[in-house]
Amino acid sequence: MRADVPYSIASPVQRVRGTTDVLPVQQRRLRALAEALHERFESFGYEGVDTPILEPLELFLRKSGDEIVARMYAFAHWNRRLCLRPEHTASVMRLFVNEFQGRSLPLRLQYTGPEFRYERPSRGRQRQYTVLGLELIGASGPVADAEVLHLALSGLWAVGLQRYRLVVGHLGVVLQMLRQLGISEHAQGLILDQMEPLARGRLTVDEATTRILGLLGAGADEAAVPSDGAPAFEGLAGLPPDQATALAADLMRRVSLPLEGSARTPHQIIQRLLAKATRADPTERVRRAVAFVARLHEASGEPDRLGALRALVEQNGLSTAPLDEVEAALRFLRAHGSVPNRDDGATWEVDLALARGLRYYTGIVFEVYVDDEGGPLQVCGGGRYDDLIRALGGREAVPASGFAYGLERLALATERGGPTPAASPKVLVVPVAHDDLAVALHVAATLRAAGGMRVEQDVRLRGVKNALRHADRSGIAATVLIGAEERAKGQAIVRGMASREERRVPVEDVVAAVQALAG
Amino acid sequence: MSLPNGHGGQLRLAIPSKGMEDDTLRFLQACGLRVDRTNPRQYRATMLGLPTGRVEVVFQRATDIFDEVDEGTVDLGITGFDIVAEHRAEDDDIVIVHGELGYQNCALVLAVPEGWVDVADVSDLAEVTADLRGAGRELRVATKYVNLTRQFLYDRGMTHFVLVEVSGALEAAPSLDTADVISDLTSSGVTLRENRLKTIGGGTVVRSQACLIGNRVALQASAHKLEATRCLLELIEAHLRARQHVSLTANIVGDSADAVAARVVAAGGQSLGLRGPTVARVYPKDAHGEGGAAWWAVTVVVSEAVLLPSVEALRRAGATDVSATQVRYVFEHRSWTFEALKRHLGQAAAVS
Repeated sequence: MRADVPYSIASPVQRVRGTTDVLPVQQRRLRALAEALHERFESFGYEGVDTPILEPLELFLRKSGDEIVARMYAFAHWNRRLCLRPEHTASVMRLFVNEFQGRSLPLRLQYTGPEFRYERPSRGRQRQYTVLGLELIGASGPVADAEVLHLALSGLWAVGLQRYRLVVGHLGVVLQMLRQLGISEHAQGLILDQMEPLARGRLTVDEATTRILGLLGAGADEAAVPSDGAPAFEGLAGLPPDQATALAADLMRRVSLPLEGSARTPHQIIQRLLAKATRADPTERVRRAVAFVARLHEASGEPDRLGALRALVEQNGLSTAPLDEVEAALRFLRAHGSVPNRDDGATWEVDLALARGLRYYTGIVFEVYVDDEGGPLQVCGGGRYDDLIRALGGREAVPASGFAYGLERLALATERGGPTPAASPKVLVVPVAHDDLAVALHVAATLRAAGGMRVEQDVRLRGVKNALRHADRSGIAATVLIGAEERAKGQAIVRGMASREERRVPVEDVVAAVQALAG
Repeated sequence: MSLPNGHGGQLRLAIPSKGMEDDTLRFLQACGLRVDRTNPRQYRATMLGLPTGRVEVVFQRATDIFDEVDEGTVDLGITGFDIVAEHRAEDDDIVIVHGELGYQNCALVLAVPEGWVDVADVSDLAEVTADLRGAGRELRVATKYVNLTRQFLYDRGMTHFVLVEVSGALEAAPSLDTADVISDLTSSGVTLRENRLKTIGGGTVVRSQACLIGNRVALQASAHKLEATRCLLELIEAHLRARQHVSLTANIVGDSADAVAARVVAAGGQSLGLRGPTVARVYPKDAHGEGGAAWWAVTVVVSEAVLLPSVEALRRAGATDVSATQVRYVFEHRSWTFEALKRHLGQAAAVS
């Protein structure tokens, strides 16, 4: 009984939350930024590649880490598990493995395009955003790191940003500490995930520790849950492994617990049960690890004042090699001509607690911020990931590093820095009647060929008055009118829309008249 | 087909037709609301009992009610909170009018095979997931609640799993090896145990019960519907509150109402009554007997949890016989859930 809703009263379709419609002014700004950056990277030999927005889910499950995976737009389409790419590096490394293995290295690639992450939208954070970045594939060590760092800073200069804060870290120190404490790989991942909120002050040491322990099932508030008899197996754990396993299996058969027919073999289940029974409580080690990360963050500072940081690393019996690597990279970075200019408000900082929410980093990591009254705005992030290509099925381990800018964030940061890139003046060519169209089109073509202006042709032909009103309302700088009389005399009327000055000129002088009147 | 539901007109309420139907009708009746249906197979009915007039009732499947309310073909709907939690979207038009109607209690839980003796809680499951991944496998989770289950696992550090769609009995999936674990609704846990599955510590994805949802836009647009909703909430809230209360009446001898009240308060302390005792004179059948000592009827409304202690207290105060009656409604000076709803609708209006 319900009649179809006529379109005239249908409600408007809204865009998806966290996405943006880019309007012409912003589009121009973004394009100008992208062009300046591409040009800069190209001058260092970085060639452009594009990868699909749609990727197999598996690509990011391999190594990107829980923090990314939990924020992906993932779905099954006709039984294939796909996702919208949440980052570019894994995609570009997949491309390398598919297309470039065996090439002479290093390989320099740059890319741009949208990424998607399901996060709470806020200032400078949308669910679809655009990044522009590069990867230096097949080179390790401070010299390569310095090139990547230099390009990250040099891109900022290319778009007119002198005022920035560079934070450089190295995962090596924290990873050493985690290994030294004998923390399981599972727990290591959880701790790395909490480093970022910890360093940003979103979590205290206690809160981070509690959260990690909760995820590990230790020290959690659900301790009251009966543990299905795991303590009963502690006694078994003292026996030789084979004997213990046999005993446990026998015990379970006697109480007719079904162990067969599951994805896990009885042997695996019993092994894990015994391992669990003997495993030491991780609480203290996790607490020490988190506290160490917090102290590393407190000891962060400018590159030439790292005494306290070095002392902290040494006191904990850890190698200072990662710190040396950072210092070497920064030394080469200066040699590139990148020197922080205090007068511009540029600063460098070394923070060994810096982590980037992605699990695949193995060495130097860095972020660049532009701070303003709205708070710190991270415009760039990157680092070194020497294991990623192997994890994605590469024939051999290939070291690589890279970074990416958030293009919309760069636009936000540069808005205050300067005016919107100027667009050339708009000109409207108006034939008075259909008979005047041929001449009008010819004049429009001549104007476009002259360059330096955008020339529109009136296609509605609703008369001069309407055309002029449209020109007034649409930011058109000059109009060219051609009627029967002008056509007969080989002339055109050029009108400056702001000055309202009109000139009747021979057709061959139209370009000069427009240039004069479009002002 | 249904007529377009404009902003005016009667309030339209959707009631679940399968599984939850009997409990829902019983609940509404207890609230003083009668659903009239010409015959039990009809899916339309009328609900009487609100001063704002009759309410149009449609019977629908609990899972469809969410969509009907979201699309605005009905204004209000009763459904399970599990369904609401699973189907909610950031930009839906759903507002939870009353989240705890107190029946249809159940929980969405993770359950693993009994034979997984090493898995006692969710963190164990996370570790098993990591182990499986190391072996090139993913944990297979069978569920009909994909959104809730996925988010739950993400929040607990598990990302390497695959949600399996299973037709038919979910609980059989692990034994048929179409899934490793399940995430399913349970109220007693009997079905899980029969299928040799067990729940694990921290494995409750969401607790659920019947709830009342509404269409935000419809309630904002129509003062009449909002007022009808307020009346409905008054009855529901007062009924739910009353379920926990008992009215006690005791006869006590005393010199004056004040003296009796003082004795009752001294014996019972603050726990006696919502506010305090009501004392009224009892006029004996034989007005000339008993040598002048007067009888007083003391009435208190107490929480069911303290029924016996309250009776004891009344005895200490001199009560000889105490009668207890179930209270039908307990109204407070306003409906709190309606206040919350109004705040919510107001905020939503300010945002949009």
